[in-house]
Formats: sequence, structure tokens, C-alpha cells
Amino acid sequence: MPHITLGRLPFENLKRKPFRTAALLVIVTMLSATFFGGAMLALNLNAGLDSMQKRLGADLMVVPQNTGAKAEALLTSSTSSTFYFTNDIASLVSKADGIAQSTVQTYISSLTADCCDEQVQIIGFNPATDFVIEPWITSEYDQTLETGQVIAGANINVSTSGTIKLYDHEFPVAAQLATTGTSLDNSVFVNQETIPRIVGYSAQVGHPAIPEEYADTAVSAVLIKVADGYSAEQVADNITEASGLDGLGYVYPGGITATTKTNLSAIVGYVALFLAAFWVMGVVVLLAVFSSSTNERKREFASLRIMGATRGTLVGLIVKESALLGLIGGVIGIALASLVIFPFSTLIGRQLQLPYLQVGVPTTLGLMAAGLVFAVLTGMIASVASAYRLSKPETYLMLREGE
Amino acid sequence: MKNKLIASLPAIILGALTAIAPQTFAHACAGHDVPGACHYSALAASGVGVVIALLGVAALFVGTRERIGLNIAVVINALLVLAIPTVLIGVCQGAMMHCRMVMLPTLMVLGALAIVFAAIALVMDAKSTNAAATRVR
Repeated sequence: MPHITLGRLPFENLKRKPFRTAALLVIVTMLSATFFGGAMLALNLNAGLDSMQKRLGADLMVVPQNTGAKAEALLTSSTSSTFYFTNDIASLVSKADGIAQSTVQTYISSLTADCCDEQVQIIGFNPATDFVIEPWITSEYDQTLETGQVIAGANINVSTSGTIKLYDHEFPVAAQLATTGTSLDNSVFVNQETIPRIVGYSAQVGHPAIPEEYADTAVSAVLIKVADGYSAEQVADNITEASGLDGLGYVYPGGITATTKTNLSAIVGYVALFLAAFWVMGVVVLLAVFSSSTNERKREFASLRIMGATRGTLVGLIVKESALLGLIGGVIGIALASLVIFPFSTLIGRQLQLPYLQVGVPTTLGLMAAGLVFAVLTGMIASVASAYRLSKPETYLMLREGE
Repeated sequence: MKNKLIASLPAIILGALTAIAPQTFAHACAGHDVPGACHYSALAASGVGVVIALLGVAALFVGTRERIGLNIAVVINALLVLAIPTVLIGVCQGAMMHCRMVMLPTLMVLGALAIVFAAIALVMDAKSTNAAATRVR
């Protein structure tokens, strides 16, 4: 028979009651998995929203008639599309009042050549006038993007030779950007002069992205930063009036961000509510189990008292047992939640249809530590009632009841 | 009996899931003209999954020492499940491709769980073997 010390006693007690320990562990594991998983989800969604807010730097986007929904989908989800104006929209828009800055972009959706080539969004931008993408790209690639080169989003499959194949043509990749958690991760960026070349290559493979007569002039959207004192809606009205075009589509990135924020708040709210309800239920169950087991263990506690254990020792024993359960359950719960949250993060982001960006290692480690503390504290809270009963002055009488 | 179940049931369940997942919900990318890496990874993982499940079944009918050997085999096969889509064969490169988004993480999780459960079973069987040896002495 191995020698059992007072320090090992809580562990031995748990070991000798495997079914009770397993049942309690399941509860603590579920609580900590839910806490860690829910908190991680909320943090990742918030990181995604922050990232999206930084990337949607325009106040207003002018797009062709009936393409507003496509443009919104392009900003918020990974749906790629091709649309363009056939007139000189940039100069028509520039006549309107209330525009502080404007730039044009061209959107082309590439072909899905085969199973291992994804459809990507090609975004043509003008580095000289761009105020949306350029500041972000500059922070990661400080050289001039040359004609024929591309900058790849984080999810783009770049070959080992540093190229990407679009319309059966290899484009050299000048840089690959960091993950943003937005649709931009599935995009490649080229300057406007590269667009006619891409159109030419697409025509060569028999799927012209844009009719060749518009290849040099095609513009998908005019992005506008409004001047101080104007609202985006006022500027949209001014553009309609100045251009004489009634059917223009207007997208308000600020509104998209606000809608996303509302959806996100709702999800985070539900997660928090579920977590709170689940936690209360878990603590109640743990309280009940600890109380009933303390009742059943009167003989055991009486024996320990006879052997010289103080009331403090008994309380310490109960608290250590519960803390140990919390710690083991916490580790298992966090490990199980990690098995879902980290490997499946891309799938989760896609299914939620919201910007979803995995937070960094320090935050993740901090949350893991918080999850462990939460699990240990939950276990200790559940043992409070039992510990209180054992610490009362009449404990000795209560223990004698069990003799 | 407890050790026997711990040594066999997880291997049977996780092995069966490893065999079934790449052919069903965690399938390889569709629309191959020429089968790609993900297709071969799915086939290989299914094969290894069947082996893990059979090792689990065998563990139901053998003694403690043999179970230790079978669980070492489960660990090695589970390492193969991890290696097939990452090192040995691979999957499609695109981050949003189904095989990378679903099949790869599914196999990673199943492989990791198979290793953890087999390791637990190994430790438990090794302990009971040692205890039996001590009693004989």
C-alpha cells in the first residue's frame, strides 16, 4: 500500500471515486470548453470587424445600375464578381460637389480552371490616387507595383516560383499580404494598366472577362471620401444630379460596417447569454454534487479529525479537491475547444459570413490562462457550501452524526 | 475490462470516422479532371482509418501485453493520418478549398484524438502489467 501524504490526499480521494470524479470532470470540461470557445469566437469576430473597418476606408462607392448587392457581397464575403461601367464615370462623378478624394477600381472575377485553382477576385487600382487599398498595401510592400505584377491576398495560392496563374498566364507575385479576415484575403491586386493585359489573356482562353473594346477604360467602382460638412447620401444626390445618370448604384461602406457590427453584437450577445445560463446550471449541479458527497463523507471527515486534522485542514481538502477538478477539467475543456476553434477557423469564418480573424498568440495564451482560472474558480465556488459547513463551530457535532 | 474498452473503443470509433469522413462530409475537392493530391490523401487516410479500426477490434480479444503492442500500432497509424495530408501527399493549396478547409482539419483532429486515447490506453495497460509483475514477485 503506497504511503499517502496530506498533500496527495485530494488527488487520492478523486482517484478512489472514479465515477463521481468523471461526472464532475465532464461538467467542468463542458463549462470551460464553452467559456473558451465562446470567448475565442467573440474575440475573433471583433478582430475581423476591426480589420474590416480599417479596410473599408471609403465613405461612398458609385457602382453600375443593379450591381449594389454584388459590390456589397464583394466587400463582406468571399463572393467574387465582374461588373463595370461602359462610360467615363470618373469624370462624370468628379463634377459633383462634396468630394474630398476619389479613385477608381476595376473588379474582375477569374475563372475556376480546375479543382485546385480557386476563383479569385482581381482588383485593379490606381496607386497614385488610391486611398483605400494603397495605405494598407504600402504598410506591407513599400515598392511601386509594376505593370504585370500582382500583390496576392493571404488566402491566394502562390506557387513556389512566386507566381500565380490567372487565365492560363503566370503573373509574378510582388508580395503576399497578411490575413485580414475579410474578402480581400481572396483577392489579387494589380494596377490599372495591368487590367487590359488580363482582359487580353482572358480573351485568349475563350472567356473574355470584359469585352475588349472596354478593356482600357473599364471601371467597376468610383470610391469617394466625402468632404467635411457633407454626408455620403448628400454626395450621392449631388453625383446623380451632376452626372445626369438616374440609375447609378450607391454603396455606403460605413453602413455595411454598421450592419456587420449589429449582426456581430447580436451573435456575441447570444453567446454571452448562453454562456451565463450554462455556467449557472453547471455551478448548481457541482454545488449539489459536492454538498451530497460531503454529507456522505462524514465518517471519512470524522476519521481525519480523530487523526488530528483541524477544521482548516478539512476545508483545505475539499477546496483542493474542487480546484484540482477545475484544473483537470479546464485543461481538457480548453484542449477540446482548441481542436475545433483553431483547425476549423477558415470554415467557421465562411459559415458565419462575417469578418473572422484569428487573434494573435499572446491573446490566445491569455485567454487560455483566463479559461483555466475560470475553471478552477468555478470548482472552488461549487465547494464553498461544503467548506462552510465543515468550518462551522459545531462541525465536531456534525461529524459525530456520521459515526 | 475497463482497460480493454479504453484500449479498443476509441480506436474503433476514431478509425471508423477516419475511414468514413474523407469519403463523406470531409471529402476531397470535387470536379477533378485529373485526380489531385487531396483525392489521393482522402483514399490513403480512409485506408489507414480502416487499419486503426481493425486494431481496435483486435484489442477486444487479446491480453494486456498484446494490447500494448496494438496501441503502439494505433499511435503509428494515427501519425500516418496526420502525415498523409500534410507531408506525404498533401491537399489543395487554396485556403478556401473544401479539402483544406474541412478534410485537412478533420483528419488532424481525428489523428490527434487517436494518439491521445491510444497513449492513455498504453499508460493504463503498462501500469497494470507492472502491477501484475510486482504481485508475481
